[in-house]
Amino acid sequence: MSLNAVEIESLSKMFPAAGGLSRFTVLESLTLRIERGTFASIVGPSGCGKSTLLNIIAGIEAHDSGQVRIIAQNGTKSAARIGYVFQSPRLLNWLTVEDNIRFALEAQNIGKVSWDERVKKYLDMVGLAGQEHNYPLKLSGGMQQRVAIARALAIEPDILLMDEPFSHLDEITARKMRVDLMHILKHAQPTILFVTHSLREAVFLSEEVYMMSVKPARIFKHLRVDIPRPREPEDPRLFDLEKDLVREFFSVLEKDQQ
Amino acid sequence: MIGLLLLWQVVSLFFLATFLPSPAELLTRVAEIFSNPSAYLIVGKTFERILVGLVLSMLIGAAIGLVMGMRRAVASFFDSWIMVLLTFPAISWAFLSVLWFGISDLAPIFTIVLIVFPYVTMNVWEGTKAMDKELTDMATVFRANRLLLLRKVLIPQLMPYIFSSLRISFALSWKIALVSEAFGAGLGVGRELTYWFQSLRADMMLGWGVSFMVLMVLIDLLVLRRWEQRVFSWRQAAVA
Repeated sequence: MSLNAVEIESLSKMFPAAGGLSRFTVLESLTLRIERGTFASIVGPSGCGKSTLLNIIAGIEAHDSGQVRIIAQNGTKSAARIGYVFQSPRLLNWLTVEDNIRFALEAQNIGKVSWDERVKKYLDMVGLAGQEHNYPLKLSGGMQQRVAIARALAIEPDILLMDEPFSHLDEITARKMRVDLMHILKHAQPTILFVTHSLREAVFLSEEVYMMSVKPARIFKHLRVDIPRPREPEDPRLFDLEKDLVREFFSVLEKDQQ
Repeated sequence: MIGLLLLWQVVSLFFLATFLPSPAELLTRVAEIFSNPSAYLIVGKTFERILVGLVLSMLIGAAIGLVMGMRRAVASFFDSWIMVLLTFPAISWAFLSVLWFGISDLAPIFTIVLIVFPYVTMNVWEGTKAMDKELTDMATVFRANRLLLLRKVLIPQLMPYIFSSLRISFALSWKIALVSEAFGAGLGVGRELTYWFQSLRADMMLGWGVSFMVLMVLIDLLVLRRWEQRVFSWRQAAVA
């Protein structure tokens, strides 16, 4: 049995250019392995192709060459469950909070007997106990995103993809959500691939950070963040790490432009 | 409103009650009509045809509209046919269906369906164009099968279009039903109108027309609108 949850092998993806005739490369022979149970982040500037990478892993975007494997706990490939928390909550507004989570459970063919228990467990976990019968539009943006997180966790995914999930929230809410996410992860321990443009967010949350540069996107640095979790947002070690990475990031960007 | 009633009252003074009744006279006619138990049978019969025609139009119209939205080939096939149906004179359908089906329930139902369902199709097809692809992607990632996608993601997004079609279709259906019945349908409000027309009794025609109109407006207000409010109660939940 493999220890990896995700294995990406020389993945390439091209997009047609604006003119239509030529194509430009978004991802070029990208290789990435994510060990089961780790929180990995990909950091890169906007438009570097990190969302595209997540969509390819999720199977909603095609790729041109290379391989993407998601390995289920039990070792089979077909049964791998993917949870996805998008930038916006993408809830079904006509369904109650509870039914939104049930939708994912039903989609994954998870037995009805465990639905009530899972709905309760994961709503409790994201701090939304008692909101089962509310409609999403009655909730604030932050609460809606919590529902989306509960929905993704409830299927107990083999890989949880998160695409800048806090970027649409105001900074105070986002900060609270990050801290809460850390605590949630003490209870549920999924493998997470988190995409962000914020180095601070990445170093605060992750165990592994991959830094990506633009056009074509490639991973130029991988590092482990060895500070034990849960962490404090004001931990000076995090600031130092962030500062170093920012410096490194700009030197790579400048080199790219020459 | 009161001004209008007053004007009506004044103008009616210059004519025979059978040609243009005053508001009070009209009310007496309505009371007369409904003091006869057979009036309920007549209204019931017409209403039954409207209901069957409406339900069929909604089902056929929504199904075709939905498939048009999902399959481009189907859309280009039906697009021109729907236009043909929409432009074909409504009155021709009323005549043709009497020729084809004779004096029966089928004639008005057929007429309603042929005239109403293209509107429903156009509306629902328009709705499919406004669907949120992000939600479909979400459902795909969570591996929803087609049926689940349809039930919980796609059709709910079409509900506003389906409801606006329903209310317009209802209004259309009952007008078409009366015209069609006037041409031949046996028992029905449409036949009453023809009968009183041939007897040169404008007061009775107005009596039937007005009572039927009141009934239809009540159904729209008390049934359709309330139903709509219930289905969309999740929207009122919006918070700043």
